[in-house]
Amino acid sequence: MKTIVRLLYMLVFLSVGTTVLAQEINVTGKVTSSTDNSALPGASVLIKGTTTGVPTDAEGNYAIRVPSAQSVLVFSMIGMNPQEVTVGTQTVVNVAMQEDVRSLEEFVVVGYGTQRKLDVTGSVVQIKGEEISKQPSMNAVSGLQGKVAGVQINNSGKPGEAPQIRIRGVGTAYGSANPLYVVDGVWFDDISFLNSGDIESMNILKDASSQSIYGVRAANGVVLITTKKGKSGKAVVDYNGFVGFQKVTNQIKMANANEYATMVNELSNINGKGNVLDPTQYGEGTDWYHQILRNALITNHQLSISGGGEKSTYNFSLGYLNQDGVVEKNNFKRYTARLQSDFQVFKSLKIGYTATGSFSKSKDEAGGIFRQLYAAGPVVPVYYADGTYGDPTDYNLGDGNNFNPQVTIDYFNQNTKKTLLTGNVYAELSVLKGLTFKTSLGGRYSQDETRFYNPQYVATFKQRNTTSLLEFTRPQSRYWIFENTLTYTKDFGNHSFTALVGQSAQRDQSYKLTASALNVPYASEGDLYLTLGNTDGRNVVDEGDLGTYASYFGRVNYSFGDRYLLNASLRADGSSKFFQGGNAWGYFPSVGAGWVISNESFMKGQNIFDNLKVRGSWGKIGNASVPSNLSTLTVATGGGLAAIFGGQLNTGASINTIIPPTTYWERGVGTDIGIEAAVLKSRLTLELDYYIKKTERAIFDIPVLTSIGTESGRIVGNQANFENKGFEFALNWRDEIGKDLSYSIGFNGGVNNNKVLSVSSGANPIYDGGVGLTSGALATRTKVGDPIGSFYGYVVEGIFQNQDEISKSAQPNAKPGDFKYRDVSGTAGTPDGTISGLDRQVIGNPNPKFTYGINTSWTYKNIDLSLDFQGVAKIDIYNANLGWRYGNENFTKDFYDNRWHGEGTSNTYPSANIGGGQNYLPNTFFVQSGSYFRVRNAQLGFTFPQAVNEKLKIRKLRLYANAQNPLNFFKYKGLSPEVRANENKPTQAGIDANVYPLSATYNFGINVTF
Amino acid sequence: MLLSNFRTDMKIIHFKNKLRQTGLYLGLASLILVPSACDQGFLDTDPQGKQAGVVFWQNEGDATKAVNAMYANLRSWNNTAFAAIALESVGSDDAEKGSTPSDATFFNDYDNFSVGSSDGQLGGFWQGQYQNINYANQVIDNIPPISMDETLKARYIAEAKFVRAYSYFRLVRAFGDVPLRLALPKDATEYNVPRTPKAEVYAAIEKDLTDAAAVLPLSYGATDIGRVTKGAAMSMHAKVSMYQQKWQQVFDLTNQVIASGQYSLFPNYEALFRVANENNVESIFELQNELIPSNKDASNSQYSQVQGVRGVVGGGWGFNVPTETLAKSFEAGDPRRDGTIIFRGETTPSGDAIAATGDNPMYNQKSYVPFNLYTTGFNEGSQQNVRVLRYAEVLLMNAEAANELGNTTQALASLEMVRARARGTSKTILPKITTTDKAALRIIIWEERHHELAMEFDRYFDVIRQGRAAEIFGPKGWKAGKNEVWPIPQNEIDLSAGVLVQNPGY
Repeated sequence: MKTIVRLLYMLVFLSVGTTVLAQEINVTGKVTSSTDNSALPGASVLIKGTTTGVPTDAEGNYAIRVPSAQSVLVFSMIGMNPQEVTVGTQTVVNVAMQEDVRSLEEFVVVGYGTQRKLDVTGSVVQIKGEEISKQPSMNAVSGLQGKVAGVQINNSGKPGEAPQIRIRGVGTAYGSANPLYVVDGVWFDDISFLNSGDIESMNILKDASSQSIYGVRAANGVVLITTKKGKSGKAVVDYNGFVGFQKVTNQIKMANANEYATMVNELSNINGKGNVLDPTQYGEGTDWYHQILRNALITNHQLSISGGGEKSTYNFSLGYLNQDGVVEKNNFKRYTARLQSDFQVFKSLKIGYTATGSFSKSKDEAGGIFRQLYAAGPVVPVYYADGTYGDPTDYNLGDGNNFNPQVTIDYFNQNTKKTLLTGNVYAELSVLKGLTFKTSLGGRYSQDETRFYNPQYVATFKQRNTTSLLEFTRPQSRYWIFENTLTYTKDFGNHSFTALVGQSAQRDQSYKLTASALNVPYASEGDLYLTLGNTDGRNVVDEGDLGTYASYFGRVNYSFGDRYLLNASLRADGSSKFFQGGNAWGYFPSVGAGWVISNESFMKGQNIFDNLKVRGSWGKIGNASVPSNLSTLTVATGGGLAAIFGGQLNTGASINTIIPPTTYWERGVGTDIGIEAAVLKSRLTLELDYYIKKTERAIFDIPVLTSIGTESGRIVGNQANFENKGFEFALNWRDEIGKDLSYSIGFNGGVNNNKVLSVSSGANPIYDGGVGLTSGALATRTKVGDPIGSFYGYVVEGIFQNQDEISKSAQPNAKPGDFKYRDVSGTAGTPDGTISGLDRQVIGNPNPKFTYGINTSWTYKNIDLSLDFQGVAKIDIYNANLGWRYGNENFTKDFYDNRWHGEGTSNTYPSANIGGGQNYLPNTFFVQSGSYFRVRNAQLGFTFPQAVNEKLKIRKLRLYANAQNPLNFFKYKGLSPEVRANENKPTQAGIDANVYPLSATYNFGINVTF
Repeated sequence: MLLSNFRTDMKIIHFKNKLRQTGLYLGLASLILVPSACDQGFLDTDPQGKQAGVVFWQNEGDATKAVNAMYANLRSWNNTAFAAIALESVGSDDAEKGSTPSDATFFNDYDNFSVGSSDGQLGGFWQGQYQNINYANQVIDNIPPISMDETLKARYIAEAKFVRAYSYFRLVRAFGDVPLRLALPKDATEYNVPRTPKAEVYAAIEKDLTDAAAVLPLSYGATDIGRVTKGAAMSMHAKVSMYQQKWQQVFDLTNQVIASGQYSLFPNYEALFRVANENNVESIFELQNELIPSNKDASNSQYSQVQGVRGVVGGGWGFNVPTETLAKSFEAGDPRRDGTIIFRGETTPSGDAIAATGDNPMYNQKSYVPFNLYTTGFNEGSQQNVRVLRYAEVLLMNAEAANELGNTTQALASLEMVRARARGTSKTILPKITTTDKAALRIIIWEERHHELAMEFDRYFDVIRQGRAAEIFGPKGWKAGKNEVWPIPQNEIDLSAGVLVQNPGY
């Protein structure tokens, strides 16, 4: 691109000196971008039909003499649609140029560089910053939901919490399943700290060949983020702000007090005891969700100033976010500041830096509050008439729900502060023509603090505390990354060649200190010092982690005549995580090839395809997102291992784990075949991809025989090979109707099939999931040929209606109202008239099969409208909330309405004893469809006309209203179909226990450019 | 052509800039290559905040810590709380679930023998015992090579053997045949072990107890109270022998314990179980628990909490409550009834008034800790020791063995010692037993065990041992040929890929 710009310059300069004309008119003006009204330096202003022209200066201004009023000025610039203006009587011609969205010269960011989209042989999707910031979202990633084929995002409505993201299905089974985020060269697991408005572009590397250059951490996909840089020219000041609120939607309805009392009695009777409550005493009772949840306010302000001189540019931004949680008292505030500058020191040396500071403060949500709201008894009032708290103990409900959620909210006092500083400095030296050396040093320092204070109080019988506790938890992390690359680019004739070699070193260290003291007074926050507490009973513990990586990599890109493309790369990664295993080094190669058919000479005559490209790629990737020193047996210590002799404590320590003999690198191997096409004057573009992604030697944390006697009963090691195979498409239509209406409609989707290829234990599958939620029963099975983490349990055939049916059945101990399970097998492999473990089978798949999105945008004159839809289909959820019972937890209204409560009342829903007997066992009743379809985002904007701008002396003013998730359609009977995998483990995925409710957000915003 | 072009280009460039370039390239190369020289050191990071296993088992201190860890695990949740109540108590006629009707209803499945193999308490019990066994095997396998005081080394190994035997005894009673692990698994091929026949498990238990008794001291100094003694090993061995009807062995072992002169009966039956009287003269083996204000993790016993009186601060969850049957079974005026059962409306000898209304008419008094000892933030009664073996039981085993062997005189004498303590100064209650009819005396001794050891997690397996389970528990659903043992945890069968086979009937 630079070469072309330079050529244009030369052309322009040459012409200026040689042209002599009569009856000249002096025309001046300014060239700006219509997108953001920023000045466009270096645009070409040419008199049509001549070679006469000038470039615009750093402020986008130009001055030119034209021969006559009939002269036509041609404004052009790479990446912009050319524009022609007849001079006429004007002496000032200002032009706002539109971006050429169909440009084939689109560039995408790839690992350690950029590539023309044309040259890419893998599957890379670029999302522009404006696309992300257009939709108000607290986390940049959540805005991607439904926008990228094959990328599944599970949002949480919790302020400050990052969404869960899966690129092309489950890539890894253990440790972090987050993709690698590379923000301006610095690696992150999570980008919650980042202000969406600072993002210039996000590039999602979906296939193994593009990810491969990030070998060590690429197993879950890679998201490359570049942040905004300043442009030479006058300072541009941008302000974006919105206010809005978040509201729980599709709320689950629980049984009311009368219904609840009825069920409590039913449950007690089934257990051979009498009635506990008198239902006639109760009506609606307390709606705990209504009591505790609220419409939560969100305020966001973002200010940025960018600009620059000839040799330097800058971009400075400030951000402020204040988000309330839907739970009372919960609040999250984030302040961000960022400064970025580039300096052209010499012709051949460029240096620059980015510095970002992010500070957040939250009043935390009481842990487990959503479980409490679900379980709390509606017969218990929030307050009694005398103003004291309603006490569940007074209703004899037992310990399963012996809490008043209002007390939990009122006495929970925890704040978290997070400070993060990150940045990088770089220098880029043009050694020779085409040879560039780049060195970059990036780092990150974070210091968080969680302050928990449990005051002295007496609220209810169970909710009380006689000794106050103050506890500080301080995690701290230091990370640096040092990278050096050498890039050589050479074009000769039809050959275009780029080679890259590089080296990278990283060190990531974390440390966490927790300290507590009892009886700390609390008259003000100033009292919250451990020193003020008792000297007795103080506790200090700490933990830490250290990981290092050393890497070498290289890549070659070659293209011939923009028709034949070849890319190959190799990365060698050493990780301390595997050092003890003696396998510190892993090697990750990739190759890719492409053929741009539309550029062939034989395609010249045709006018169907504006672009037609086929591509194929293959690559290997690695996963080091596992705990450090996995292969090192460590010594267990702690208070739980301290013995007491003679009343005194004696420190204990021993070995209570087992480790696999060696843990190897987990490897991903991916193949991708794609077609890209543009037809109908590029109005319709299509991208199709077929992929096979294998995860080899996948590291799992799985249960082992407890008779080995380990503390956790689990073992971590290379346990299985599995595969994600699928198909993705992205179809986009973009057109204009008349002068005023332009629109685009995009449809993307992905089909993914997950299958286990082998497990290390041979024929023996991996069992996991739901241990606590199903009274100890394992709820998932990962077996060769099945999807990973498939739900595993009994098939419910109906409900036992009476004792007679039970006596004739395979479940002689059942009670009327219990699930009747299907007798599938027995010790001889055939039904044996008893229900045992052998009767279980696969009953659901937590891995989504289809993910899709429809994104539309419409612009009519000054009005813009976006409507985005998104959905997931063919996915199962294990609704563990239903059977996860200890005692008298509340029931859903749906359960009340449909439950069995006497012969003939139901043959699908069991009695109130759903958590007892054999009813809690994993079975088909708990498996429900998790498919959903929603209006993801609806946004209506109005941009004020130029006349208003001039009056207000601003460049641009836009107002908008926006709704996210306003409409959701699903059959699932839990709180939200967006269920996050417990600890990111695919063997515990889709088990819903205490999810955050689904919420919709409504915002009103303003964009101003000065 | 492409390649040659490229080469020519490079050559020209190279030639022109040779000098300047060499320096530059060296500079760049050094930047890129410098870290590689120290990659080895750079990548070899130490575990953070975790001592590496390879540097453990080096000295006497390590051995001591490992033995401590083994003892600590004996008080864990899976050893003393829900799992123990489910498998060792509520199946009996003495105890039932308690708490409120709808809480933790799975206990009812143990009470009425409808429990399925997937219930979590089976796995909890299994895991708790095998964790003890792992801690013991760690000591037994790893201490021998350590250079340390040989007497102490031998004693540590003996303590571990006792813990291993005790844990296998609990397993074999509960499940019958179980995987027998007498050493740490060397590699993955030794993880999956089939069930060993019950007789072989008993043999291994007896060997461990014999080995332990040969080494362990009769008693310890003040700072070591709570460690297993020679008396504990012999008493446990006697109990294990009793479960196999090896009466001569029971008789000999109990005689030795009696003759050791280490033990006598604590005069006040009720006070015997209070925190203040822990490790008293009658105590043979107690699990040591404490409330350590500065160490919540070490104050983790929930033994007393799960059984504590409901609805009062400092009480507990109210599980494992005595039944009406138990209350009625005591001989008239037997003070052990009041020492065993907290009745609704009573005031305990420690001065706690128990509300007259409440969820359950009775609670277990043997795990009871006076409410004023409660500290918020800690488990109620976390200071209560668990009485595993008492001298009274040794005397009763002695009596039973003597009677089986025809030594009626000694049987009556040993029995009388237990009754006399319960009787105290009263002249009217618990008359001295004089019958010499072997069968009648057997029943009397069994009933004495019933009352002396009530709510101490002995009754359920004791009745099965006596062969009277169908008679006594039958009305609740107990079936001969099935309920002698509980089902093996389903998860464990799943994880064993069928190497473990379920008990019949489950």
